[in-house]
Amino acid sequence: MFNLIGSAINGVKHALGGLYQVKRGLETVAMHTWREPTTEAYPDKAPELPPHFRGRLALTVNPETGENLCISCRQCERVCPDKCIEITANKSTETNKLELIDFKIDHGLCMFCGLCTEVCPTYCIINTNDFEMADYTRSSLIYDLKKLTLTQEESAYYFAAKEMPLPKPKPAKPAAPAAGAAAAKPAAEAKPTATVSPKPAPESAKAPETTADKPAKEVEKKESPSTDTPSVN
Amino acid sequence: MTIQTKLPEFKTDEMVINLGPQHPATHGVLRLILTLDGEVVKHTEPVLGHLHRAQEWQGQNRTWFQYQALIDRVDYLSGMFTSWALSRAAEVIDGTEVPRRAEFLRVLCAELNRISSHLLWLGTYLIDLGALYGFPFYPFIEREKILTFFEEISGQRMMYNYIRIGGVQRDPKAEWFKKVEEFTKDFPKRVDEWEAIVTENPIFLNRTKGIGVLTKEVAQAYGVTGPTLRASGIDFDLRRFKPYSVYPELKFDVPVYNKDGDTWDRYMARIQEMRQSIEIIKQVLDMIPEGEIMSKKQNAGLRIKAGEGFAAVESPRGILGCYITSNGSDKPYRFRWRNPSFSNLSVLPPLLEERPISDIMAIFGSLDIILPDVDR
Repeated sequence: MFNLIGSAINGVKHALGGLYQVKRGLETVAMHTWREPTTEAYPDKAPELPPHFRGRLALTVNPETGENLCISCRQCERVCPDKCIEITANKSTETNKLELIDFKIDHGLCMFCGLCTEVCPTYCIINTNDFEMADYTRSSLIYDLKKLTLTQEESAYYFAAKEMPLPKPKPAKPAAPAAGAAAAKPAAEAKPTATVSPKPAPESAKAPETTADKPAKEVEKKESPSTDTPSVN
Repeated sequence: MTIQTKLPEFKTDEMVINLGPQHPATHGVLRLILTLDGEVVKHTEPVLGHLHRAQEWQGQNRTWFQYQALIDRVDYLSGMFTSWALSRAAEVIDGTEVPRRAEFLRVLCAELNRISSHLLWLGTYLIDLGALYGFPFYPFIEREKILTFFEEISGQRMMYNYIRIGGVQRDPKAEWFKKVEEFTKDFPKRVDEWEAIVTENPIFLNRTKGIGVLTKEVAQAYGVTGPTLRASGIDFDLRRFKPYSVYPELKFDVPVYNKDGDTWDRYMARIQEMRQSIEIIKQVLDMIPEGEIMSKKQNAGLRIKAGEGFAAVESPRGILGCYITSNGSDKPYRFRWRNPSFSNLSVLPPLLEERPISDIMAIFGSLDIILPDVDR
């Protein structure tokens, strides 16, 4: 008899305790109703992506002049774990320099590790914030030079967002044999070339700024040879 | 009448059925061959290898620099830890000194990653138990914030490639630390909320209390590690047992349960671990010094001295070890990974013995296994 009453009391206790816990849970769930939604209306509203987001690969151009920054050094081709980059370059007989003919990236193979962007000495190949690359065929995922190259405005945006040092003015190259002997190593600082080339005044003012406020980038940059190393040597 | 007389003569046979490999609750491609007697599991045989991607072989055919980018895929929910184990093993061989700031950043990111991994487990575990009504998305809201932090410093949400041999890849800005600090203030309240919904819920208690009891002896015999082991009452955490990085300077508790652990204990162990991780992050944010973040050049010619080395880290699933033999070239000579999920999965057959079918997913989910980590 006592057993029966005891178990009945226990059962009631158990049920009431359970009900109380369920109430606690439901209260918490109900409180969520009044919160701000955390979902994003994605196709209608583009998501905000950080500047270092590893999206579709692209080639930058000089934001000032619009010329392609690739020097066909093939470092990205060599470092790519998936072997998805294919560079076609030709050595011109006049300037004894590599001329870029075609640059192909198979985005169907790419795993977006971003190693190619890390080794690029001229900050030419970059990861853009674009990730909407769905297509109907595999062959259309192979992007050629024309499809990869960004416009000047886009390049300017990414150079600023990723805090990459702006490319040095190109005219320094033909002038290098003359000025290079006099200025030797410190010539890399673009100051002596400023007197030779016609338009580096705004650039040389910008370049030290961008390198100064990003020490981490500088560490990475140290290993990469300067754009104009062949001429300095 | 005739039915009653015939029933005792009715003979039943054991039935063999497959669970998986395409099953929503196995979190990957695990195939379990179950021998059932009615509803009771008599024997379980996990079939591995559906997700084998030859990670060790791939490491031997890639340069150090390339393999670092690949290794996050082994355990995609906690990529920081695989990178960390690889980097530490390489640093042991090479004798590289890691800058102090980089060590703190590693601990910070690893603990954030531990939380994000446990959060995904919490959400999906409740789905496994049948709670499809929306709770699983509460942890995902917080996880999304952590993934946004990682996206900002590493560039991706899952394949970070952030911890490198010799340091870390990128120095976060001051605003990033502020965001993390706000997150640490907010997060304990969210854990309280989830606990209010789940921990004492009678349905949850019925599904988990006393189910899948893992005794100390069995856990030790099978080499189980991580929160699963600590829920069984064995105080074994690599962060305290064999401290690495800057863990000796940080104050934190390791939740240990002083009895044979059931499914509910494993749930609680992970919840408590998240709270402790937040404590660690708070201390790191206070203590983090200024300085260099990388002591080794990160380029295609990354080389490690000839030699052998082993290093292990405490990942969200257990002890993750990496053994490397290097011959001094730009490619590693031999790799060997010790993955926690493999040992934790091997304890599943004894746990499922004599349990009804409805308990399979409750027990399997509580082990927190990730299949690419099992098969590599």
